[in-house]
Amino acid sequence: MVNFLQYIFFYTVFSLPLTLSYRTTKVINFVHANFITYGAYTAVFLHGVLGNSSIVIAAFLAFVIVGGMAVLDNLLVFTQLQKRGSSPAMVMISSMGLWIAYRYLLYVLTDIMHFYTSKNFVSYGRITYSDIPSISLAEFNLSQAFIASMVATILVVSSLYLILEKTRMGRAMRAISDNATLAEISGIPRNLVINLTWFLCGGITAVGGVLWTSFSGAITPEAGDSMILQVFTIGFIGGLASLLRTSIGAIIIAFMENIGIAFLNTYLGVPVSFRPFLTFIALLTTLILFPPLGAGGGLPYRFRKRGLSQ
Amino acid sequence: MSNILEVRDVAKFFGGIRALDGVTLSIPHKGLVGLIGPNGSGKTTLFNVITGFYVPDRGSVWFRESNSMVRIDGLNPNEVFRKGIVRTFQTPRLFNSLTVLENLLVTPVNQIGENVAKALYVKSWREQEIELSKKALGLLKTFGMLPYVNSRISELSVSHMKMLETMRGLMTPAKLYLLDEPTAGVDYSMARELFTYIKRLRDEQNLSFLIIEHRIEILMEFVDYVYVLHNGRLLSEGKPNEVTSDPKVIEAYIGA
Amino acid sequence: MIGFDIVGFIISWLTLFGIYAILSLTLNMESGVSGVTNFGKVVFYGIGAYISATLTTYLILMLNGVDIVENPPYNINGVILLGELGSKNPVLNIGLFILSVFLSFIVAGFVGYLLSYPILRVGPEFVGFTLLSTGELLRIFLLHFEPVGASKGLMAIPNPLGWIPDSRVRETLYLIVILAFLALTYTVMKRLLNSPLGRTLKSVRDDETAALCMGKHVPKIKALVLFIGSGFTGVAGTLLSYYFTSVNPNMFVPSVTFNAWAMIILGGMGNLTGSLLGAALITLVDRLLTFITPLLGITVISPDYVRWIIIGLLIVVVLIVNPRGILPEKPIKTPALQQVEEELKK
Repeated sequence: MVNFLQYIFFYTVFSLPLTLSYRTTKVINFVHANFITYGAYTAVFLHGVLGNSSIVIAAFLAFVIVGGMAVLDNLLVFTQLQKRGSSPAMVMISSMGLWIAYRYLLYVLTDIMHFYTSKNFVSYGRITYSDIPSISLAEFNLSQAFIASMVATILVVSSLYLILEKTRMGRAMRAISDNATLAEISGIPRNLVINLTWFLCGGITAVGGVLWTSFSGAITPEAGDSMILQVFTIGFIGGLASLLRTSIGAIIIAFMENIGIAFLNTYLGVPVSFRPFLTFIALLTTLILFPPLGAGGGLPYRFRKRGLSQ
Repeated sequence: MSNILEVRDVAKFFGGIRALDGVTLSIPHKGLVGLIGPNGSGKTTLFNVITGFYVPDRGSVWFRESNSMVRIDGLNPNEVFRKGIVRTFQTPRLFNSLTVLENLLVTPVNQIGENVAKALYVKSWREQEIELSKKALGLLKTFGMLPYVNSRISELSVSHMKMLETMRGLMTPAKLYLLDEPTAGVDYSMARELFTYIKRLRDEQNLSFLIIEHRIEILMEFVDYVYVLHNGRLLSEGKPNEVTSDPKVIEAYIGA
Repeated sequence: MIGFDIVGFIISWLTLFGIYAILSLTLNMESGVSGVTNFGKVVFYGIGAYISATLTTYLILMLNGVDIVENPPYNINGVILLGELGSKNPVLNIGLFILSVFLSFIVAGFVGYLLSYPILRVGPEFVGFTLLSTGELLRIFLLHFEPVGASKGLMAIPNPLGWIPDSRVRETLYLIVILAFLALTYTVMKRLLNSPLGRTLKSVRDDETAALCMGKHVPKIKALVLFIGSGFTGVAGTLLSYYFTSVNPNMFVPSVTFNAWAMIILGGMGNLTGSLLGAALITLVDRLLTFITPLLGITVISPDYVRWIIIGLLIVVVLIVNPRGILPEKPIKTPALQQVEEELKK
């Protein structure tokens, strides 16, 4: 049960930025997986190389570094491609290229750090932070990870709500996601807003990655990649548009992966390692029943025949 | 007089917006019918309903197939095309990385070489291909676009794109053509030439046309019937001279 | 450079090239020509490889009267028995090879066709992700599915030419088999591309909606493309499993797909010769790296990581600087072009 809640927190922090970045920028961003991993590794390197044990410092630095990384991707790659009139599919392919490059760049970094510190960074143990209390509530022992991710999730959700609903920046972001051209004509500095969106999305995801280091038993350079199925499925459940539905998606997937699989395991003997299949079924169900871009993916084609009354 | 297309009381809503609200119109066989109206009056939405982009929220669309009328609303765009209706778009939607010739050759129906097994044997489709390319070249010649035959679409001017899109429709065996502003961006004399050609096609090949056009002066000269849409409703209809003298129409256009 | 086996190098390079070129050709047909962004190439590749591996190992043991319940091909006894029995009967070996090729094509193609059902509903932008995750799921499944050896995979798969004693001759002959399949794939793809069907595929890629309005049954066309492309990919998987004589889940990671993508982007999307060129260049660099790496001695940074960083950046840089690749797409060649020439001469 605690794990279930724990995963809700993680998935919310990981997938809200995905939905937000897609709906504002219309880029299917595979680098999102790197955002998680790089966030986690900011914390890992801070801990392993510099001996930092403050989660606040780690989260702050991860936010800035990965946020900057996201903005750089946008400036150097996505914007360049869009300027050239490349199709969204091409932009997505470029994000895949970046994903590969970032992933192995991290491996190189872990190798270099290993060379200097002789520590194993390819599978790094859970980090115990000094600035999170662990609380015992009656019979429950709430772990550091639980408290940290709960606080972070509440912070992220409430600040996203405030930013989107109460600030000019938020209104500009919503205007761009509704109709980018119209928003630009009406005087919204589109590029600035999109860059800020990327910064925010990269940053929040990275904070999620930092939280992951206080929970996961072994942090690997593929931590983010292994969660990409879940995170994208949650985004799709949210239609890549609605933040509320994305949060509900996080709850659904966390439920299936923790309580659903436990149930199947007990009663049907399904191995726990087949957990991703449940998520995959959720993905296919979402695609067939609630396609993110409408049936036919924006193509005016209807698969189900409407009964014609003659 | 038999109708080739009948739109009966069609309504289409988007959220709370009434794009179309109870539109009824018909196109006679061999008709050359104009559809005018201010921007946002629902002209393109009507095209989208007829060609199966949207399912109407109310009403029905009927199309003549041999001797009876069949209902076509709710069919998919490709099925509507197969019935014999072809459309063009306000902003040309050509196949941008194909050449002019390829754009024309894509559309003919029942191409033998579109079948996987037969595509592998050039012999099986060679003859048809040659025949179709002759037809395409003939069309290009008529409109003076032969020099561009191997150009990519991105190298064409807007007026050539518009012409090419209409020509692409003419490569098909469609019986009814829905043209969305065929002469936008085309110079005056070429526009007249296009309409003259359309009229000739109508007479020689028994085709029917429904044409959205903003250049009312040219349109009125050629069409034999006009419908005026305003805010999703039919404002007026009749012979060109009747419509242009209708005070409601004049008001709508000045008001818009 | 002492002991640099130049012939062995060329054979291994061409073998890898042959297999990867089939992948890149079919990927180009799917993604470059028809606009189905297939990030799950590895699914069909893996299916092909595992079908042939499973079929061959089980059948060889069964036909030789081994009790596969006691000695399944994935445990140590099975592997030893396979080593003993695997290359005794040339007719059986070749027969199983042909059967595998056939089955891989059908099954991989069929899976591609089935997968088109959900993905056609989501539009080109989501196709990629769905297929990508399908690949990861397949790998997780294989990792935990005991009958195909779980994480160890299947070993000692008898090569169809395993009965030839001399390894150099065997490798060369198997290379010829692979190149023959490559030639077949190339011919089929080239013919399909340079036909009215190819034109229709390109029109679907350029503007799905307009193609739909011109009567093209876009979903059917995409399903067809996935069937053909996946079928040939399955065959590539078969060829791979017999070449390495072993399969395991970690051979079928998403990286395989990315390799093929790098090849078609570098070579030129929509140009089949470009895919061959891209495959040749990238496999050549790969082979050189594996030959050279031991000569470099131990370094801090693994050359393999550097290679992947370069592949990733290559995709990005080519897309930005020269999105049409080394060999840009050309208009399709049909008899219509001759008509045009005649007409222009008049």
